[in-house]
Amino acid sequence: MANIRENRLVHLIGIGTMSIAFLIFYAFILIFVNINHWTEKQGKTLTMSIYFKEEPDAAVIENIKKELFLFPGVTVKQFVSKDDAMKSLRRKLGEKAGLLDGLKQNPLPASLEITLSRDKEGDSLPHRLKTRLEEITVVDEVHYTQEWIKRFQVIMEAIKIVGMIFGGLLFLAALFIITNTIKLTIYSRKEEIEILKLVGATNRFVKIPFMIEGSIQGLLGGAVALFILFLAYIIAITRIHISIGFASLNIVFLSPQIILFLLLMSVIIGFIASTISLGRFFRL
Amino acid sequence: MKQSSRCFSGDERSTLISIFFKMIKLFQVYKNFGSKNPALLDINLAVKKGEFVFITGPSGAGKTTLLKIIFCAERPTSGNALVDGRNLNRIKDRDLSLLRRRIGVVFQDFKLLPRRNVFENVALTLEIIGFPLSMIRKKVHQTLRYLSLTNKEGYYPPQLSGGEQQRVAIARAIVNNPLILLADEPTGNLDPDLTMEIMALLKEIHIRGTTVLVATHSKELLKDTTRRIVTLNKGRIV
Repeated sequence: MANIRENRLVHLIGIGTMSIAFLIFYAFILIFVNINHWTEKQGKTLTMSIYFKEEPDAAVIENIKKELFLFPGVTVKQFVSKDDAMKSLRRKLGEKAGLLDGLKQNPLPASLEITLSRDKEGDSLPHRLKTRLEEITVVDEVHYTQEWIKRFQVIMEAIKIVGMIFGGLLFLAALFIITNTIKLTIYSRKEEIEILKLVGATNRFVKIPFMIEGSIQGLLGGAVALFILFLAYIIAITRIHISIGFASLNIVFLSPQIILFLLLMSVIIGFIASTISLGRFFRL
Repeated sequence: MKQSSRCFSGDERSTLISIFFKMIKLFQVYKNFGSKNPALLDINLAVKKGEFVFITGPSGAGKTTLLKIIFCAERPTSGNALVDGRNLNRIKDRDLSLLRRRIGVVFQDFKLLPRRNVFENVALTLEIIGFPLSMIRKKVHQTLRYLSLTNKEGYYPPQLSGGEQQRVAIARAIVNNPLILLADEPTGNLDPDLTMEIMALLKEIHIRGTTVLVATHSKELLKDTTRRIVTLNKGRIV
């Protein structure tokens, strides 16, 4: 600690550089965690839309709901009438809504939107439910998101693999930057190291304080990076709400376990980097 | 019972005895830093225990390199260097550190730690050895008293004059009663009065039993001396 106090400026620069390297890596991990979180969430619930041939009356809707509640994990979200569907389309078209003015009648069907919790019966439930619903006379078609989600999940898995490779490369880059930062810190105290060796200090006596300093620098660099990332996260969630169709993306921050793991990793990186950097000073 | 024994010849006995009593022994030492002009050529030097030797020669003659080989900052390119019976070509890192604790070194540029005060600079060797704090305090105070530095204990090197800094460097070098004291141009940055003061100190340290080697190109220091002088020129002993 005395050494850190005595060489404050050098250590501050070192911590600053390390925190930037860690920030890039941790930001990547945050994105990765959120992609993982989103795909897992989508996999757990499924949205199904039941389209009617004609606008159903309340009694028909009630009978269909009774049929639905025979299946486990079903939640009725909302009934969308033909008029509601047209209003929604006009809202989405915005300035181009005028294109719909020429329509003599409303071609959009009424629909009932439901969600299915997948952990009950797996993949067979949506298919069975679809088959049953399509037998009902008033029902025209039943669509659900599973096939689309499956394709999306395949893409997400591929993104995860690429992400892990990219993350690994980022980790190596961060390690390289940190090693060189610590090397500069050690080099600035080259004369001190030489004097210590001159008066008979063993390599271990000289190295251990630098390794401890490197670990502390790593920890502080990691902590600063996490703090900056958290600030950025707060700004992001207060200003951005991302929707992808009927699935909305809620950005989550890193869990306490991941934060602890990253802090531990930053200590280890600092330790490894200082060990590598010290090597060249101890050849004689 | 028949015992196998090896008897040494007369020459071998002489060699063994001469090695035994020599604090420093350099035998056919060469040192090359990769350039066309080697720093040391065929150096054969023996320094007895308790001797005081001047190493002299013009700048670039190899004086500093010679001292560096003795305190193990450089290894010979070829040849053998023995210090206190240890072969420096084969010494391990741990043993090297232990040997260095018994060799005090004083440099022209003092080589003090600027962020440690006088007490802490002198105590450095003792801290490294692992002496308890009470012992460190006792030894450091004794040494500072001997070198008239007691009132400068809390000062930092930049706050001291050249002569005071050199005395602190000598204090650090002798605080652990080293076997050998090496001084590389110890008075190079000092005025004549301070030069005489430092040389007097080195002589006193020598009288107490320490083997002393002083590298200098100053003819003034060598004038009228009765000490042994080893002259280097272009890497060779002249």
